[in-house]
Amino acid sequence: MFEWLKGFCRPSELKSNGVLGMNARNYKIISKYNNRRLYPLVDDKVQTKMLAAREGINTPHLIGVIEYQHQVKDFLELVKNHPQFVIKPAHGSGGKGVLVIKHWDDDCFVTASEKVLTFQDVYKHISNTLSGLFSLGGQYDVAVIEEMVNFSDMFKDFSYQGVPDVRIIVYKGYPAMAMMRLATAESGGRANLHQGAVGVGLDIKSGKTLNAVMHNLPISVHPDTKADLRSLVVPFWREHLIIGAKAYEMTGLGYLGADIVLDKNRGPMMLELNARPGLAIQIANGKGLVEVIKQIDKTYPQNLTAEERVDFILNMKK
Amino acid sequence: MMKFFTVRKVLTFFLLVSLAFAAFSAYYKIKYWGFDFRPNRTTKVWNIDAQITFKPTGEPIKVSLAVPTAGKDFKILNEDIQAKGYEVNKDVYSGRIEFTSSAKNKVQNLYYRVTIYDNENGKGKLREAKVAAPRLPIYNEQQRQMVDEILTEADKLQGSWPQKIIQMFNQEPMNPTLSAFLPIKMTQKQRAEKMMELLAVKSIPSRLARGVRLEEGKQAAEADLMLEAYDGSKWMLYDLKTGKEGLPKNFIIFQRGGTSLLDVSGGENSKVRFSVLRSVVSSFKMAEHRSGLNNYKVMFDYSIYSLPLLEQNTLKWLMVFPLGILIVVLMRNVVGIKTMGTFTPMLIAMSLVKTGFWAGLISFSVIIAIGLLLRAVLSKLNLLLVPRISAVVIFVILIMQFMTIFGYRMNWSIASSAVFFPIIITAWIIERASITWEEEGPANAVSEIFYSMITAVVTYLVISNEYIRHITFAFDEINLVILFTVMLLGTYTGYRLTELKRFAPLAKGE
Repeated sequence: MFEWLKGFCRPSELKSNGVLGMNARNYKIISKYNNRRLYPLVDDKVQTKMLAAREGINTPHLIGVIEYQHQVKDFLELVKNHPQFVIKPAHGSGGKGVLVIKHWDDDCFVTASEKVLTFQDVYKHISNTLSGLFSLGGQYDVAVIEEMVNFSDMFKDFSYQGVPDVRIIVYKGYPAMAMMRLATAESGGRANLHQGAVGVGLDIKSGKTLNAVMHNLPISVHPDTKADLRSLVVPFWREHLIIGAKAYEMTGLGYLGADIVLDKNRGPMMLELNARPGLAIQIANGKGLVEVIKQIDKTYPQNLTAEERVDFILNMKK
Repeated sequence: MMKFFTVRKVLTFFLLVSLAFAAFSAYYKIKYWGFDFRPNRTTKVWNIDAQITFKPTGEPIKVSLAVPTAGKDFKILNEDIQAKGYEVNKDVYSGRIEFTSSAKNKVQNLYYRVTIYDNENGKGKLREAKVAAPRLPIYNEQQRQMVDEILTEADKLQGSWPQKIIQMFNQEPMNPTLSAFLPIKMTQKQRAEKMMELLAVKSIPSRLARGVRLEEGKQAAEADLMLEAYDGSKWMLYDLKTGKEGLPKNFIIFQRGGTSLLDVSGGENSKVRFSVLRSVVSSFKMAEHRSGLNNYKVMFDYSIYSLPLLEQNTLKWLMVFPLGILIVVLMRNVVGIKTMGTFTPMLIAMSLVKTGFWAGLISFSVIIAIGLLLRAVLSKLNLLLVPRISAVVIFVILIMQFMTIFGYRMNWSIASSAVFFPIIITAWIIERASITWEEEGPANAVSEIFYSMITAVVTYLVISNEYIRHITFAFDEINLVILFTVMLLGTYTGYRLTELKRFAPLAKGE
């Protein structure tokens, strides 16, 4: 009768493992270190991109922004020199409303998932984006058109369709925890853990796999590609960390999540930032956030530059 | 960290203060206004009718009746006197009513009615510094011996002397000596006088108190008696049947202390007869009268309960919401259930109260199901957001209209309860569920609706509970306690119940 209770653990068990709960995250961290005034900086992709450029953070190049419905019909003008491009809502979240065009000519557009669209379809997509179909609160939005990321082939075996990205939790400018999210057949090519994507916890010093989970359960091979997840190493790890660390200077947010992808030619690039990053990263890493947060609060030096902070972490004795 | 610690401390302090305030006002309302934690409480109200009858002798008439005075032992709701052609005078100090009139010739009937409530057991003490010793009764030798024997026998019994003697008189079977000593047939009064006689032998002053024993349906009965005995500093009351000391709550004293119950001059064959009628009045209605007795009427006048009934009912409906809100907070921040919209479950619960539980649940499910079907068709059209949600709103209205008409024709009252659900909220539930359906699959959409409904049902069970509604209304200060509880929950940083499952893989590392 009480069989289902076995799925639960005792609060003391979580506490002793330093697991950060939602209430503690909101009350002790977000409400304290993330000023609400700063949210628009990360909620608006155009602003994020401009700030990133100022900090010297790589992001996909901006092709153009479509703000008004009457501009939509001219979007071909914008992309005429770009054989590939991506259309995103500036205020979207979780990959909603992202349209990736792999190649196109005058009457057909081919998406990343090999779907063929007409000009009318793309026109409608942009028009819907402007009217807020994909934005957070349904408010009017603008469409951002940017260059397509040439994803590095290094992770090809690790992801079913979709794009693997690295999520780094940055606390007070220090990268605190990292994971890579790998799409699966079940997640429909998306990288959301609660939809069945694989989360791979990464060692913050080396970018190597610590632990991998799918639906909260540990796994060792990718369910679709059968790749050995333990062999995963993220290259340019220091550069990944520096992007995360710089995001702190860039936004002023004390607690943020940086989503980073690896471009074949340009290296790690920041895709977006999140002012309220989720807590599933703890499950992927197999450990809680509280301990590292306490350490950063107590022992990590203050007033370092982003690079110095990253080097501090990389040179730390375990 | 320090700053938050203080916030929590301040809130805890206010929570404790509001708790103390709520406890005090609950005490106050129960004690002075007669409120009760249970709903539909009633107060017993006793009507005592005293009918005075006498035959005039042809001289000017003066009638004086001892009447009860309200005090700690009971409260008087109403007094009424019917005496046509008489001048009526109430002497509050001596507790008597005087009827005066010129000479009359027919048999006279005067009425005095008193309505009392909140009658309680009292001590029945009456202080008096010094009382003359009673006159010793005169006995012959045989009687003398009998009395000695009776008193020796009585001394073996428990209690004070008056109690011993009363017990002796009520023993079954009666002590043979005592039964030989007493006349064969005695009225209640003669019996009591025999007790007084024996007390006089022990030099204990005693007398009779008259009043009415509250027994439902008592008709034209004589005054009931209690024995009063002096214990050296005060007069004490004793029940003539049980010997119990003190004033029982079902006995209302009209006259005590040597004076007579009824004095009539200018009349003969006078008698007073009592009738008792019990009725029941809602305690809430009595509250105003109770508060008036304590000179705190202002408190009452500025409370909910002095408002017209319509306003009271509206407020009664509002007063239960803070508890519903508390449940939503608990469900989200402590249990960790995700619901659609913060207060949507509460709004559904409110509608359920109006429609009835099953009827509401069924018709709401039907609206949502039909709405989702129509919305699925709509999503094929790729409409813009505002026109799309507007279309869903109109769908909901049409579904409600259809269900009401259909329900009326088919005589299904369940279907006609559809109109009670908030249209906009229902439309948003459909919209959100359908987006979740498209993006995260039907399982997620169904579970989101399911958890919202669970929260709504829990809230419904709380806000529709008669006891809870009564308490949040009658003791509305509880809402202050809820306010500070909710605010304090705003500083809760512990794990949510659902996180104990979600993060369970992290617990096994230990």
